[in-house]
Amino acid sequence: MTRRSRMLGSVMAGVLALSLAACGSGSSNTSDTTTKPADNSSTTTTTDNGNSNSNEKITITFQNIYPDTTDPKNKMLHKIVDQYQKDHPNITIELDSLNTDQQKLKLKTQAASKEVPDITIVNPAAQMQPFIDADLFAPLNDMIEQNGLKDTFQKGILDYYTFNGNVYALPDGNNIAVVYYNKSLFEKAGVKVPTTFEEMVDVVKQLKAKGITPMAIGEKDSWTGSFLFMNVLLRTNGGPGFLKDVVDGKKKFEDPAFKEAVDAFESLIQAGAFQDGVTSFDYNAGENLFKTGKAAMYFMGSWATGGIETSEAGKDNNVGVFKFPTVNGKGNPDEFMLAPGSAFAVSKDSKHLKETLDFLNYFMLNYPKETFAAKGAVGIAQTVDGDFKAAGYSDMAMDVLNLFKEVKGGDLAFDNTMNPGTAQAHLSSIQNLFVAKKDASEVAKEHQTAYEENK
Amino acid sequence: MNVLKVSGWVIAAFVLPCLLLYVCLVFIPILVSIYSGMLDWNGIGASKFIGIANYTKMFTNDSVFWPALGRTFLLAGFSMLVQVPIALFVAILISRYVRRPNFLVSSYFLPVILSVVVIGQLWKTIYNPASMGGMINQILIGLGLDSWTHSWLTEPKVAIFAVILVSLWQYLGYHILIQFTGIQNIPADIYEAAKIDGADGFKADRYITLPMIVPIFKISVVLAFIGSLQSFDLIMVMTGGGPAHATDVISSHMYNMSFLSMKYGYGSAIATFLVFVCMLATVIINFLFNRLDKRYS
Amino acid sequence: MSQSVITPAVKPVIAKRLRGYSIKKTIVFILFGILLVTQLYPLLWLLIYSLKTNEEILSGSFFAFPAIWQWENYTNAVAGGKYWSYLSNSLLVTSITMVGVIFLSSLVAFAITRFRWKYGQAVMLVFLLGMMIPMQGTLLPLMVIFKNVGILNTHLSLILPYIAFQTPIAVFILSGFMKTIPHEIEESAIMDGAGVFRIFRSMILPVSIPPIMTVCILTFINIWNEYILAATFISSEKLKTLPFGVYSFVSQYSVNYGAIGAFLVLGALPVIVIYFLLAEKITKGMVAGAVKG
Repeated sequence: MTRRSRMLGSVMAGVLALSLAACGSGSSNTSDTTTKPADNSSTTTTTDNGNSNSNEKITITFQNIYPDTTDPKNKMLHKIVDQYQKDHPNITIELDSLNTDQQKLKLKTQAASKEVPDITIVNPAAQMQPFIDADLFAPLNDMIEQNGLKDTFQKGILDYYTFNGNVYALPDGNNIAVVYYNKSLFEKAGVKVPTTFEEMVDVVKQLKAKGITPMAIGEKDSWTGSFLFMNVLLRTNGGPGFLKDVVDGKKKFEDPAFKEAVDAFESLIQAGAFQDGVTSFDYNAGENLFKTGKAAMYFMGSWATGGIETSEAGKDNNVGVFKFPTVNGKGNPDEFMLAPGSAFAVSKDSKHLKETLDFLNYFMLNYPKETFAAKGAVGIAQTVDGDFKAAGYSDMAMDVLNLFKEVKGGDLAFDNTMNPGTAQAHLSSIQNLFVAKKDASEVAKEHQTAYEENK
Repeated sequence: MNVLKVSGWVIAAFVLPCLLLYVCLVFIPILVSIYSGMLDWNGIGASKFIGIANYTKMFTNDSVFWPALGRTFLLAGFSMLVQVPIALFVAILISRYVRRPNFLVSSYFLPVILSVVVIGQLWKTIYNPASMGGMINQILIGLGLDSWTHSWLTEPKVAIFAVILVSLWQYLGYHILIQFTGIQNIPADIYEAAKIDGADGFKADRYITLPMIVPIFKISVVLAFIGSLQSFDLIMVMTGGGPAHATDVISSHMYNMSFLSMKYGYGSAIATFLVFVCMLATVIINFLFNRLDKRYS
Repeated sequence: MSQSVITPAVKPVIAKRLRGYSIKKTIVFILFGILLVTQLYPLLWLLIYSLKTNEEILSGSFFAFPAIWQWENYTNAVAGGKYWSYLSNSLLVTSITMVGVIFLSSLVAFAITRFRWKYGQAVMLVFLLGMMIPMQGTLLPLMVIFKNVGILNTHLSLILPYIAFQTPIAVFILSGFMKTIPHEIEESAIMDGAGVFRIFRSMILPVSIPPIMTVCILTFINIWNEYILAATFISSEKLKTLPFGVYSFVSQYSVNYGAIGAFLVLGALPVIVIYFLLAEKITKGMVAGAVKG
């Protein structure tokens, strides 16, 4: 009996060791697989294409964040892809459409195991940095020279995707932050468009007195509040570059400009600017308050234009836009919060690098035309040939387009400028201001501590 | 004492397929996690071995960690001490009073099947401020209890309880089902014999149902504990851990660190700690129930 | 629950001993009723929700009906959510996982509780350790393993971890049950000259149907809505499962809630139908198990 179990024990131990070795060798291999074309996903070619072209069959995996078939971007994506596949029967574009959060998680996991899809989506500047450091993307310098693609992009926009002189991604959008307002609600409360932040606080109070929710925000997604705060900071700092100065060691978060921004921001909150229960409203629920005419103002990136103009509140040109005003007389309203969009990057280890680059070139060349047709061309990163007015874009859309012409620089969102660790601390610190009044110097200290810890 | 004497090969045939799969896909990843927990690594680029520095930081210099752990245990406590006993009570009542229990038990079970997306959305509309049509607050105002109204999901002190309540509600039917199955498994002749001895009604429950249900009750408690420690979806949907970490639990903290703050090494250290806590808890739960078992038998 | 027919299968003894306490009974049934309403309400709410516009949903009126019934949410869900393809993938993955979990874990539970060997408790402990590990925590290591084995972007990359993560709890539950089966069963079987596999298959397994059902249900719940692993390991459209459909209506700056609701209804319906159809059998199985045990 004992002998038998001992034998069994050794068998078990042996098998266990074997399995450990098997799994272990699996994970230890990872370091040297960087050189081999690492794309299992693209080798599982789809067979339902049914063409009998003599060329080699190629599948390009295109990870994207346009999963909703009722969304114009999704239609546009499919249209371009279908056309390309028709022209190139040997190429299949496998669309891996995911919602934004999941795509981020997936890409990070894939990046860690060097398994990046042929085309993927990244965010600009600081959010892109770790991927560049890990050397995962192919430079697009040569590709954008082909067919004049480079010249379709607005001046300077590609800088946010350029590292060490190489362009690594091509953006789908370029937006600015504006304040949308509901004209009839403004009329009802007898208030005018504010030209200074102090007037804005005043307008908030008057709206509030009339029982109207002054501003809508979706602060559960804490970047929304941060975006607004950063615009205040852009003013109190007297111009862009505060965070850059912090990174360069020229300033600290305890700087008076930062504290002033916190104080101004809190005065807005304390005036009762936002709806009740603000931190449980996600982006959509917050925006919906404005869209359904329940809130008078809405601070957001210009990407929201399309949704607002077709909403209940936006009917009959009832919604207008204004620039974020000066704070304590500081800042220039022509400096905006800038939001260069998420961008398409190509895996360096793509098995079909050439074809992938060709496709992306084609895709980006057709992008402006198709988004223009789908009435989604407000705030794209490329120049559009076409008469917006004649194409039936709304007055509000035209207003927003005109604001674009007045842009004289600005700042990027916090998480596009700072490392992720500091950004998370910042987001939570700002979110806290919506539920608790805090001393400005305490907020500044929180930021400084977080920054130093994450440096 | 087990009676089947079999050869090692037979044991291997029974145990190894499952064990191998388990070891490769659960155990090894955990070992990898333990190792990652000792790295300074953003999850993508180069990593640096830093020994136990992540743990030092976690225990001494992370203002979110301890409160998040506390809330996790709060949820686990409510789940084990309130939800599971209520479920047992309901299960006993059902088995006692209902002749065709399928419909009832199945219906109670429904919220578990529905996706958290729906559950979260539903409860948000219930918890909303009165001005946004929130049901609870409107009822309170209707009863003249204006001072009782709260912004349930956004007041830091209240929010975590609001989320816990939803979690308890959602999984109540799950535990009812488990306990009910357990009660159904108690052989009817035991009750019959007891009846002859004069034990009937609640007395029968006290002396037969409760002792007989202990093993199933234990399963329920363990599942409640696991569920609590891993609960994550519901919190993300309802509050996202906010406002300002007020509803963060250990698993959401881990997620934030690993993937949002891009401190994968640190996140892995939290995961490792979580696994350790779980092991400890399993041992404690087992110990307690073994004593309970002995006392009854 | 006012059927007057007494089903003899369900404990006639208990049912009988309580006839007559009608006030108590009324209170209990009111309690059941309240619980029923709170637990069934979400389903009703979801049905209404799935027919509303985004604005109506987000406005958050709890009882309101839609102004115009948005049936197109369903057309969107079926077409845009690729319902049929996702559903069949989900059914495939879930059913293979369930069969795998039950087969593998019942073998182990049998070995642990019925074999006379030294390492039974050690194996049990190894499984217990894994019970509490969150699947998401192992995302990255799994990715590396699957990449090297070459099964990324196949259903296998879902089925294998699903099975692996469900086995601990399954072993725990099944061995808890099998422990209680009297040993006389095997003793007499051995006398009759039955082999180990036959004892397992025709004596232990049939008796274990109730806990197996529990395991089935637990597995199902954990797998059916699982999205994080699925979204990470699957990239091909034709391999995707139901949760992809739900999240396919979430864009960067907009969410199509109505279509999500419709998709969830369509995703939950087959489950609810199957469950209610099987519920009768499940309880019968349980009772049969109880009698034999």
